[in-house]
Amino acid sequence: MNKEALSIKDLSVTYSTSGYVTQAVKNLSFELERGERLGIIGESGSGKTTTALAIMGLLSSQAKVSGEVTYNGKNLLSLSEEERNCCRWKKIAIVFQNSLDILNPVLTVRAQIAECIDRHLCMSKENTEERVLELLRQVGLDRKWADCYPNQLSGGMRQRVLIAMALSCDPEVLIVDEPTTALDAVAKNDIIALLSRIQKEKNLALIVSSHEMSTIQKLTDKTMVMYMGSVVECGRTKEVIFNPRHPYTRGLINSSTQINCFRDLWGIPQENMSKKAEGCSFYKRCCQSTDKCARLRPPLEKCGEDHCVACNRGGILKLLEGRNIVKSYKIKSGKIAACKNVDLSIHSGEVVALIGESGSGKTTLANILCGMLSKDGGEVLFEGEKIRGFDATRRYDGIQITFQDSFSSIDEHFTVYQVIEEPLRLLKIGTKEERREMVEQALWDVQLPNSEEFYSKKCFMLSGGQRQRVAIARSLIMRPKLLIADEISSMLDPSTQANILRLLKGLQNSKGFSMLYITHDLSLAKKIADRVYIMKNGEIIEEGSALTVFMNPESEYTKRLLKCADL
Amino acid sequence: MKKVAKFFNKCSLGGKLSILFLIFLMLMAVFGTIFARHSAFIPSGSAFTAPNSEHFLGTDDLGIDLWAQLCEGAKLSLTIGICSALLSGIAGSFIGIICGYYGGVLDKIVMRISDILIAIPSLPLMIVMGVFFGAAIRNIILVLAIFSWTGPARIARSKVISLKEEKFIKIAESYGGGIFYLTFKHFLPAVFPIVMVSFIRLINRGIVSEASLSFLGLGDPTAKSWGLILNHAISFKAIYFTDFWKWWLVGPFAAITLTVLSIAILARDTEKFLNVKL
Repeated sequence: MNKEALSIKDLSVTYSTSGYVTQAVKNLSFELERGERLGIIGESGSGKTTTALAIMGLLSSQAKVSGEVTYNGKNLLSLSEEERNCCRWKKIAIVFQNSLDILNPVLTVRAQIAECIDRHLCMSKENTEERVLELLRQVGLDRKWADCYPNQLSGGMRQRVLIAMALSCDPEVLIVDEPTTALDAVAKNDIIALLSRIQKEKNLALIVSSHEMSTIQKLTDKTMVMYMGSVVECGRTKEVIFNPRHPYTRGLINSSTQINCFRDLWGIPQENMSKKAEGCSFYKRCCQSTDKCARLRPPLEKCGEDHCVACNRGGILKLLEGRNIVKSYKIKSGKIAACKNVDLSIHSGEVVALIGESGSGKTTLANILCGMLSKDGGEVLFEGEKIRGFDATRRYDGIQITFQDSFSSIDEHFTVYQVIEEPLRLLKIGTKEERREMVEQALWDVQLPNSEEFYSKKCFMLSGGQRQRVAIARSLIMRPKLLIADEISSMLDPSTQANILRLLKGLQNSKGFSMLYITHDLSLAKKIADRVYIMKNGEIIEEGSALTVFMNPESEYTKRLLKCADL
Repeated sequence: MKKVAKFFNKCSLGGKLSILFLIFLMLMAVFGTIFARHSAFIPSGSAFTAPNSEHFLGTDDLGIDLWAQLCEGAKLSLTIGICSALLSGIAGSFIGIICGYYGGVLDKIVMRISDILIAIPSLPLMIVMGVFFGAAIRNIILVLAIFSWTGPARIARSKVISLKEEKFIKIAESYGGGIFYLTFKHFLPAVFPIVMVSFIRLINRGIVSEASLSFLGLGDPTAKSWGLILNHAISFKAIYFTDFWKWWLVGPFAAITLTVLSIAILARDTEKFLNVKL
């Protein structure tokens, strides 16, 4: 037998209904060997089910399918319906997405499963009967359910029946479409256990398409991430989930409650439908897109061992990189090292928390990164370029910093309008009217009143929370790619802090900037950070994804911090 | 206008009286010599006339009307006071801002110079310089300014040193704000109120210094200043044996004292007012 079980080349599916053409799958290629387990992740509408149906040859006539689906050397797409029917179910079977109407409501479970067997295998009645009961046993369903109607079964049981149907003809490739959607946790676990058991027993080639990260994580070895019909990332499941390289994958993972269990949930920002992009399909929702992405469709390229990503920028970008940063202050009795060979990197679109007690050099590091403080050694790279002085703060799409003390960071004699307009005026950006529009937008973004009266309010009349918002608006007006937030909420009351943080996270999600959040508050960091750096006495002593650092801290110091914070 | 009214209302009783007196003094200086019945330079009656309806402050030894001379003196005193204070206030503020902002060697040099200027007793030096450069009003103003800029400069400098550590200055710098921008947008508005008090005090200093110089006979001998009237009166032999001092001395003496007192009270009230944010 050919070792290569299933090979798909350049599969494209186009739906054309009443003149409206939708390309559901674009040039999909992959190979699946016997015993391999492949996951397909994506939001709904990303082409997962269409792919499954196309492999099965079950698409309606409105769908135009091109490319090759080869199984054991035969191109299934070129076969006649009859030949295909023979292959279908006996070689490749599908477990349909679980819903009430997928099963025939007037047939009992027994009849339903028997139907599949009758169609494809010629068996005597007794054998069929035996086979049905055997299948029910395999999927862990008591035989008493055999005579029930689908509407009498629970969701989990229906899923089992569907699996039993798929297994009825002993297929070699099993395609499972959304096996765990709409199931409770216990049923979900059972189904996952069942599927992996069956896969192992029969050495099936398994394709699981799901939008549930945890299901994919448990059921598959390899994963493809699909977006709008094309694969944006593929690789080993572990690698894809814990080290995603495409912004879309990261967005999916961050939206998953199982993997992202501490933080607030923020979906991937909805796309702006106004523009029709020819280039990268994710262009409109991407936080690191450039003009090139609008024109050029990125091919799937290798970005690591067994890991491919389709991105014009080579995956999630390293936005800021600090290498070997050294800084010490002179005092009378000698030198104090505030930063000792600090290495730090921030990727585009992520929130990094820098945690440390006061005096650990956090603020010094932040000031060095944005150019407000000169460093004794090392270098800071922003988008791959070395920055000197205020290079990065004096431009759009650069770095901006917001400070802890809003009373110090705003000239209290200025009016609100003057404060927010200041960067534009200093950098001579825009005409008076344009600036006014931008200030309006910035105030709108930070949810402050947009009235003439508020514009001309002197800043000493504002509360601490309002001032902090004004300071954030001033930073945002420069459309930063990286916002350094230095303890911005530590002087605020809990409610104001919550509001500001939600606001900031919301803005971060919709505008897609990265954030370096400096704090000594661990519970806060746990709530917002994607990655965490722990700093002590001028050194980074631990770094890693928030989940790892908070669940399995390595260093003693982190453990102690977590203990002190009761986390 | 509203601010002026608000300020007036906030002043103490003494402050209100001072303001009224200073307004009166200014009117005296501007309109007194225009509408005066008598000249301040030509005799208009007999010598040593006691105050009466014609000469309501009397006349001096030459028969010149004393009221007219006081008006002339007010003009001179106020001009010298305000001009020297303006000059030293503005120059001092800028010097202070620059020194405070840049620091370093420049700051050290300028501050040592100001130390020297503070340490030197100014009146003797002023006498020397007055003699040296000639006693024209312009010279007096210049000499006064040279000795007075240190006050505002120190005030401005210390304020700027504390301001430049504030984050909003750093942020403005990070957007490319230079010394010019920072001075006019951030430093001056913060420095102005505190220099204002110093400025008012400097007016006083100018007036007193000019009066002292004139009194010692070192002022401009042709100018009719209050100090010069006193100088003339004192040098009149045996003035205290006569009744003449009652109008010849008291007039200018009262003018100087009241002016200085009013300005001092005004300075005190301004300080209180400016402490609250404008």
